[in-house]
Amino acid sequence: MMNACFTPEEQERLARASVLLVGCGGLGSSVAYALAAAGVGRIGLCDMDRVDLSNLQRQVLHHTVDVGRPKVESAREKLLALRPGTRIELHPVALTSENALELFRQYDVVLDGSDNFATRYLVNDACVLAGRPQVHGSIFRFDGQVTTFVPGHGPCYRCIYPTPPPPGSVPSCAEAGVIGVLPGFIGSLMAMEALKLITGRGDTLIGRLLIYSALDMDVSEVQVRRNPDCPICGDHPTIHELIDYEQFCGGAGR
Amino acid sequence: MNVTLTEQDILRYSRHIILPEIGGRGQKRIKAASVLLAGLGAAGSAAALYLAAAGVGRLTLWDPARLIEDDLVRSIAHTRSHLGLSRAASAREKLVAINPDAVVTASEAPDALPGLVEGHQVVVATCGDWMALQRAVVNAGAAAVFAGVRGAYGAALAYRPGTPCLGCLPPEERGEAGLMPEGREDAVAAAADVVGVTAATEALKLILDIGNPLTGRLWRYDGWAATFRETRVARRPDCPLCGGKDA
Repeated sequence: MMNACFTPEEQERLARASVLLVGCGGLGSSVAYALAAAGVGRIGLCDMDRVDLSNLQRQVLHHTVDVGRPKVESAREKLLALRPGTRIELHPVALTSENALELFRQYDVVLDGSDNFATRYLVNDACVLAGRPQVHGSIFRFDGQVTTFVPGHGPCYRCIYPTPPPPGSVPSCAEAGVIGVLPGFIGSLMAMEALKLITGRGDTLIGRLLIYSALDMDVSEVQVRRNPDCPICGDHPTIHELIDYEQFCGGAGR
Repeated sequence: MNVTLTEQDILRYSRHIILPEIGGRGQKRIKAASVLLAGLGAAGSAAALYLAAAGVGRLTLWDPARLIEDDLVRSIAHTRSHLGLSRAASAREKLVAINPDAVVTASEAPDALPGLVEGHQVVVATCGDWMALQRAVVNAGAAAVFAGVRGAYGAALAYRPGTPCLGCLPPEERGEAGLMPEGREDAVAAAADVVGVTAATEALKLILDIGNPLTGRLWRYDGWAATFRETRVARRPDCPLCGGKDA
């Protein structure tokens, strides 16, 4: 299947590319559909959760009959129905400091659609250490953020957020709620970033943090810079291997 | 409003109900709402999936085009096994699978379109004859979101009675912004999804009467640059579609 939006060379790059999605929830749903449709050759899905009824209001990869099934299996089925030739690799495990580096090295680009701070810092550090570009997205109630981090080119997540918020200070989606369309918007922007990283076309969000309000339908852009004192990507890094992120986030990163 | 939320609804929509701006009252409004989706191509597909997931009670899908291979690279509401069905019928199967409680009707008669507007609260228009749609929307006192995508560029404008309509926007301005119904041109699915989800978000805001809708605001997205722009649209008293009609 050809898409006239891409040159044959770009399509070839997409077909050869591999992307790892950390999380097959709200963000992962929209990311996965868009990447499969674009013809990304290999998509890794990392999520250990099962589909819950309360997911279906926003996680459009999963159908009502999928409630109770592992999310990665439900996701694979939908992606293959859209684009049968795609290699879908399932990683139904918790991402940990023990497995993250080895997993990330198997993919060209990592997309963080996780829902807690411990995983965000783990994904960031593992991407820096493994030298993998990362597209970051997060959602909260009616608001979201998206940006792209490429090691050696611009900031990383820690440059922008050096320390996690105090445990319990930021409620989860379950506690605070989220409008179902929000991950669709942020996830689709993340997918577009991945396509630009893979094809080399357009301007990515390196050094640019987009802040979105669904209620206002407004996107503002903040310039973000690399911190030379960043403990992982700075001039004199002090973190050389993955740490205990639950502890780093105060044990309540979830 | 004569709808109630079942125990299953309360579980399914708990992430909405917990939001003060939506709550149980808002979720009932969504359940009582009826949306006409004119077009189940690139942007329309994403809009449809998210509106069904959000719990819109009644969805009417209009799209006479047959699903072809090329659709599958840009529109996420379809599957390969549906090739040859109308895009309305194809998307209907997916929406019902996502949300079996939604009443989803597919219409594939090419000339059915403006006539379908009556009885719907919001029209999400991505294909079809937009001027005829806008006229019908004005006459029915309904609301609408017009959204178009080409390549990785998209545009949208929302309407509710009393606000600038599509006819108030000079055609050259509309064309320059890319606010046009979708044809058979290609689109990047990721960008089409940004535009389609924007349309779904606006439809929900119009149903819920929350936030600042895209009424009078011509919204534009450039996927390759990851930039958004907005220009104001004013009401034209001599507009051929809405001129002289007050909310």
